[in-house]
Amino acid sequence: MPESIRDKVAIIGTGVTKFGEHWEEDVGDMLIEAVHDACKEANVDLMKDTDAAWVSTLYDFSGMSGWAMVEPLGFYGKPVTRVENQCASGMDAVRNAAYALIANKYDIVIACGVEKVFDQGGRGLSQDILYWHPSLAWQAAPAYFAPCAIRAFKEWGWGRKDLARVAVKNHQNGAKHPKAHFRREITMETVLNAPMISYPLTLFDCCALSEGAAAIVLTRPDIAKRLVGDKYATIKALSLTVETQWPFFRPGWTGLSFPATVKAAEDAYEEAGITEPLKELDFGVVHDCFTITELMTYQDMKLCKTGEATELIKAGVTAIDGELPINPDGGLKCFGHPVGATGVRMIAELSKQVLGRAEGCQVKDAKVGFAHNLGGPQAIASVAIVGTPDWKP
Amino acid sequence: MAGILSYGAYIPTWRISRDEISRSIGSASMGGERAVASWDEDSLTMGVEAGLDCISITDPKEIDGLYFATVSSPYKEKQAASLIASALDLRKDVYTSDFTGSLRAGTLAVKAASDAIKAGTMKKVLVIAADARRAAPRSDAEQTYGDGAVALLIGRKEEAIAEIEGFSTIVDPIPGPWRREEDTYPKVFDVRIDTRFGVLQDIPQAVNSLLAKHDIQAKDISKFALYAPEARSPRALAGSLQIDPKIQMQELLFRETGITGTAHCLLLLVAALEMVKPSERIVCASYGEGSDAILIKATEKIEQEKGKHRGTKYILSKKMLPSYGRFLSYKKEIEIGWPEWERSSVAKYWRDEDWLLPLYGMKCKKCGTLQYPVRRICTICNEKDNHEKVKLARKGKVFTYTHDYLLGPGNLPSDGINPTTRLLIELEDGCRIWLEMTDHEVEEVDVGIPVELTFRLLHQKSDFRFYGWRARSLRQ
Repeated sequence: MPESIRDKVAIIGTGVTKFGEHWEEDVGDMLIEAVHDACKEANVDLMKDTDAAWVSTLYDFSGMSGWAMVEPLGFYGKPVTRVENQCASGMDAVRNAAYALIANKYDIVIACGVEKVFDQGGRGLSQDILYWHPSLAWQAAPAYFAPCAIRAFKEWGWGRKDLARVAVKNHQNGAKHPKAHFRREITMETVLNAPMISYPLTLFDCCALSEGAAAIVLTRPDIAKRLVGDKYATIKALSLTVETQWPFFRPGWTGLSFPATVKAAEDAYEEAGITEPLKELDFGVVHDCFTITELMTYQDMKLCKTGEATELIKAGVTAIDGELPINPDGGLKCFGHPVGATGVRMIAELSKQVLGRAEGCQVKDAKVGFAHNLGGPQAIASVAIVGTPDWKP
Repeated sequence: MAGILSYGAYIPTWRISRDEISRSIGSASMGGERAVASWDEDSLTMGVEAGLDCISITDPKEIDGLYFATVSSPYKEKQAASLIASALDLRKDVYTSDFTGSLRAGTLAVKAASDAIKAGTMKKVLVIAADARRAAPRSDAEQTYGDGAVALLIGRKEEAIAEIEGFSTIVDPIPGPWRREEDTYPKVFDVRIDTRFGVLQDIPQAVNSLLAKHDIQAKDISKFALYAPEARSPRALAGSLQIDPKIQMQELLFRETGITGTAHCLLLLVAALEMVKPSERIVCASYGEGSDAILIKATEKIEQEKGKHRGTKYILSKKMLPSYGRFLSYKKEIEIGWPEWERSSVAKYWRDEDWLLPLYGMKCKKCGTLQYPVRRICTICNEKDNHEKVKLARKGKVFTYTHDYLLGPGNLPSDGINPTTRLLIELEDGCRIWLEMTDHEVEEVDVGIPVELTFRLLHQKSDFRFYGWRARSLRQ
């Protein structure tokens, strides 16, 4: 009978680089910074104390195989796995690391992620058509989510201002985070008048291409106490769901919900023992790759009723001083989305928030929070719930 | 004896006014407009569209051969007819051939088909003629040429809407125009020789020989569907044949489409077939290193075919290109947009060709869901290897869409100027399909509008031409 992993894994150290354009650094430079910062916070020596690592990258040119982490860090002679699961890559690296710890195979492990998009030798999102079908219509991420916004407009009367509200909120928070790529507040007009990327999404409805790395050190709670005293967070739940890679061709697709998120959230809530997410959770970081995604995620994660996500944000519930702050760090909107790094960065953020050490906006009395990723581009969702060791559902 | 069982045509959506060409590049305007193949069309895709129009009420599996006539094939080596046969869902044991080299290729293909029917070696042969020729900017040809396609289904006289009573031909290796391997544009020695000693001699000779053979007078022919290279020759031809240009000559369509190459005299033939009455006769003549003339007589069945095909109705459904610059880019005289990433899987395309090109979806035999693309496991109920292939409907409504402005390396660039509109369509048979739109303006698009599918060139990554389906607004 599968068991919940609640409180079986502890996060004892985190490291996050500044996210942005790192022309003068390569993958190794960024990983070294993130991993060593995490080890320092965890009071462990990378080579002597850590037993295994998982590294997440989306693009091969950010790093392939275990080499991606081993070579730059000199982490030779240990088991290292590269994890790729589209936008959920980072959280999936954490998930695999967590399960290995629970299996008692290792004692102290690293989960890290990095993406170096600007090294690809060209501009724009890398879209190697080779791994898509040569004759079936495919497109970059914005055009995957834009049609969902069109459906929401038709079905619920949402409009472009509802989308813009999300970007404004996240920029307000991100402006205060020292590691964010974009640290400037914006107005509704900025969003509405920005160049169109994929109708109805403008430049400011979309998260940016950025580079960055993040790392966390994980162990079991008994070891955690030895190394960092009571300064650790525990994982309450980790889930992953993979749905169809071709959502538009799926008979009955509505565009009004992402089934992968719904399932991943259900699994995570069950594992953590949460039955009333809006009440029981203190905050969350969602995958706001596009503004429409954040709104639909409120609904898919049962924070509000279908069609009412726009009301939730209008009422200020998800603002930094609201009942359930969403993206207090500024989200993907302000950090950008170096795919491999994002999920790990989010878990690092959860851990810092519940320990009262947030680098940007600190959520008041944060004890438990969730992180959500959705990628592939609608196929793969992951939800993590992290809290203080004494938080119970 | 053989006959025509049905007919079809295709004229692309776009037109450019000859005044606009003249204003932009300084040549004297010849008036009217000409048809222009879109950025993602070529003679092959237009041939598919004309073929679909022609066999819209025919079972493609009954066709035994496909002849494709063109002087502007997208390939120097690779048979276009085989690909067209696949898109039209013909059997795998049909005879396919490209007829090329001369503007007479269309009528020569009709003769070959007709002979096969008479000999009894084939029962139905589809003849398609199409051209999307290039011409040098500022040349006469730039204005006189038009892009378009025609299809004729040839079969036994018993089922024909028009009998093919006979052929005659003249072969005449006159100099021009010509285009060698290394030439992008056609060359002309002297238009006066080509017209005076070519068109105006060979066509009347072939026609008169045909009439004499069948003991028929020119005055007894209802319509003459004659090739002409430009707008003045028809008058001279009428004079030479001593026929009434206003009543007996099928309107050249110079001001509506331009001269559509190998397809042109057959396009005029289709226009005639749409109008003539039973037992009326048509003479159709081509020109190109000589002339072929065909004698055709409408049967009783001609009336029932009227209105069943779009044919020349395509001429009325048009959009004007906004500028000469746009015209040049669609005709590939200027290259714009981003260089394409190199790689795309030719192997995958080849493996999936049997459902990609004729556009088959699948119906799961367990849960009954109609879905696309075709795969082994049903996406709804997980049933394995238990489905039937079903040809998908070609019309539907837009369920949702976006206009994708991300033009750049790795993203398919539309025409390089406009965003790529992507549509999720609910087809009339209930199947969902996600496609790009073409031949449209952004303002036309909304949830709920009706659209129809169209066969186009998708891209040329890996230096290979990947053909497939897009969608367009209904062409009324």
